[in-house]
Amino acid sequence: MRRLAASVVGAMVEAAAELRIHRTRVLLSLIGVAVAVAALTTVVGLGTVAQQSSLESYERSGGRAATIGAYFYSQSGEPMDAASLASSVDTVVDKYRISHHTSNGYANQRVQLPEGVADIPFQLVDVDYAVIHRLTVLHGDWFTDRDAGRFAPAIIINEGFWNRIGSPDPRTHPTVELTGADAATAVVIGVVESFPGDTTSSGMMLTDAFAAIVDPAVLAQQPPSYEFWVPEETSDQLTTLLSRDLEAMAGEGVQVDVNRQDFGASGEDPFAPIRMVVTGVAVLILFLGALSLVNISLVTVRQRIREIGIRRSFGATAPRIFFAVMMESVVGTVVAGVIGVGVAIAIVQSPIVQGYIAPGVIDIPPFPVDAALIGLAASVAVGALAGLLPALVAVRVRVIDAIRY
Amino acid sequence: MALLELQGVTRSVRLPDSSVLDILRGVDLEVDVGDHVSVVGRSGSGKTTLLNLLGLLDAPSSGTIHFDGRLVSRLRSGQRDRARGADIGFIFQQFNLLPGRTALENVQTPLLYATGRQFWQRRRLAAEMLDRVGLSGRMQSMPEKLSGGEQQRVAIARALVRGPRLILADEPTGALDIETGTTVMALLDDVAEASGAALITITHDTNVAALARRHYRLDTGVLTPLDITRALAAALDVPR
Ligand SMILES: Nc1ncnc2c1ncn2[C@@H]1O[C@H](COP(=O)(O)OP(=O)(O)O)[C@@H](O)[C@H]1O
Ligand SMILES: [Mg+2]
Repeated sequence: MRRLAASVVGAMVEAAAELRIHRTRVLLSLIGVAVAVAALTTVVGLGTVAQQSSLESYERSGGRAATIGAYFYSQSGEPMDAASLASSVDTVVDKYRISHHTSNGYANQRVQLPEGVADIPFQLVDVDYAVIHRLTVLHGDWFTDRDAGRFAPAIIINEGFWNRIGSPDPRTHPTVELTGADAATAVVIGVVESFPGDTTSSGMMLTDAFAAIVDPAVLAQQPPSYEFWVPEETSDQLTTLLSRDLEAMAGEGVQVDVNRQDFGASGEDPFAPIRMVVTGVAVLILFLGALSLVNISLVTVRQRIREIGIRRSFGATAPRIFFAVMMESVVGTVVAGVIGVGVAIAIVQSPIVQGYIAPGVIDIPPFPVDAALIGLAASVAVGALAGLLPALVAVRVRVIDAIRY
Repeated sequence: MALLELQGVTRSVRLPDSSVLDILRGVDLEVDVGDHVSVVGRSGSGKTTLLNLLGLLDAPSSGTIHFDGRLVSRLRSGQRDRARGADIGFIFQQFNLLPGRTALENVQTPLLYATGRQFWQRRRLAAEMLDRVGLSGRMQSMPEKLSGGEQQRVAIARALVRGPRLILADEPTGALDIETGTTVMALLDDVAEASGAALITITHDTNVAALARRHYRLDTGVLTPLDITRALAAALDVPR
């Protein structure tokens, strides 16, 4: 034990002195390692941010993990009873204590625009829709429960729609006229971002608010589907239970399809290709860094054969020499690794880079801890790997040959 | 019991043309604690080869070496390294100081392989030892900045800092002028004497050998006792 403490501290002292003496050469090689680690960590970090941004678009369409969707079809073609379907949904929500759920329907609505009347698709949802799809508004507010009972229905419109009516500030309560059978004056309370590349106009309305202005027969023709946000662990079980219960309550002639619809449902990782590319690039970079370090360490150790012989003659054991040479490498690369990770953090967190790689990401993630840990682990691994060969050379030094003059 | 005991030690090497060169032939030698032994021999007579065997750096081709009562060939390499670190101090002709390290760091080197007090107090012990060899003013100097005599004094301090029981000096004055060599030898003799360690000096210089109490001569690998008075007289007769 006593020997171990002295050996470890002793090897560190030797390694530190060695690094100090060869500082120029060591510095050069470590700059390489720092660059490699910075590159690796940056790539992994950016990968995580990019992944976050694609995750957001997945969530916006399919819901977060785990979102279960329920769809109703009339087998006979007869209209379904939308109100009773809605109440059976309420029943299962209570029964299984589902924290968030929403209806999800579509309706085309005639709208009076400055240039004339246009047919605009409206998505009909409940208040929880925003939570389930991690949707936030660009301007104004999302729906609240009070909006369901408003005399003038509240609507949220996308950027395309908003631009067509002159981009009014939702705080000024701008209105649009809904025309046709269900004529009403709607109040724009919020604006959501259009999907990238989408220039069409669309709007959102609470299902209940829509029901208040529309002929019930229209709703019965095409009742909405529903989404339930449930814990991932119980999602399989709940899918079965919801399917059974809703089927039972729907009665004759109505078919119910219940299944998981978020990105995790497919069973395959949608980010696998991104990850593979990122990992490939990172490993290549690191491999090159390690290679140059091995080269430099080998040169260094060859020049020190005499010195190793002298140390051996003063009682350094072979394992001790091995450990000390290894330590030099690891101590150096860890320092380089810390610097590299620092640089990577600065790069990934810079607003310019963030804006480029993850435009419109709502949750700008803090620097991924994983990436930092991977960077540090890689620097230790590179140090150990690069130290291995010279350490093996060092222990094989024949003392009498090394000190012979 | 002798500190070091060689019986019928030979050392031969196979040359590239696959002939065998016998460097040492049947060397017998016993060294006790406190002994001061000299071995005189011409260049190429096998002195360094003998010293490597005495210092447990090399193994004999045949014959036995006992160190401190233990058969050296039976020791594992780690045990041999530790025994060498604890009990043997080397002084080389070319000093062999570590470049880029101060005198103080050089003297601390053997203590890095020690344990306990010797390890943890290495700085103080090394400073004391440098003081003993009269270099308290040059502790922070790099070897390159020291004169030959000063470098060898640093090497002496390094060899003695762990308090070895055996000091092996291979031509310690070989790289020094006569006057400096004499001073350095006197110092080495002095500190070795004070520490009670055995000192084996290997040299081609009869005057240096004369400082020892027991004298041997190595000639083409054969070790025989030497009559130092006659050797000195002979050295005077032969013009250099
Ligand atoms: N490993 C070796 N291979 C070949 N020849 C060697 C080897 N070691 C020593 N010798 C030869 O053995 C002889 C004695 O060497 P050495 O012990 O260094 O002599 P000294 O120190 O007395 O000058 C020399 O001729 C040297 O060339
Ligand atoms: Mg020699």
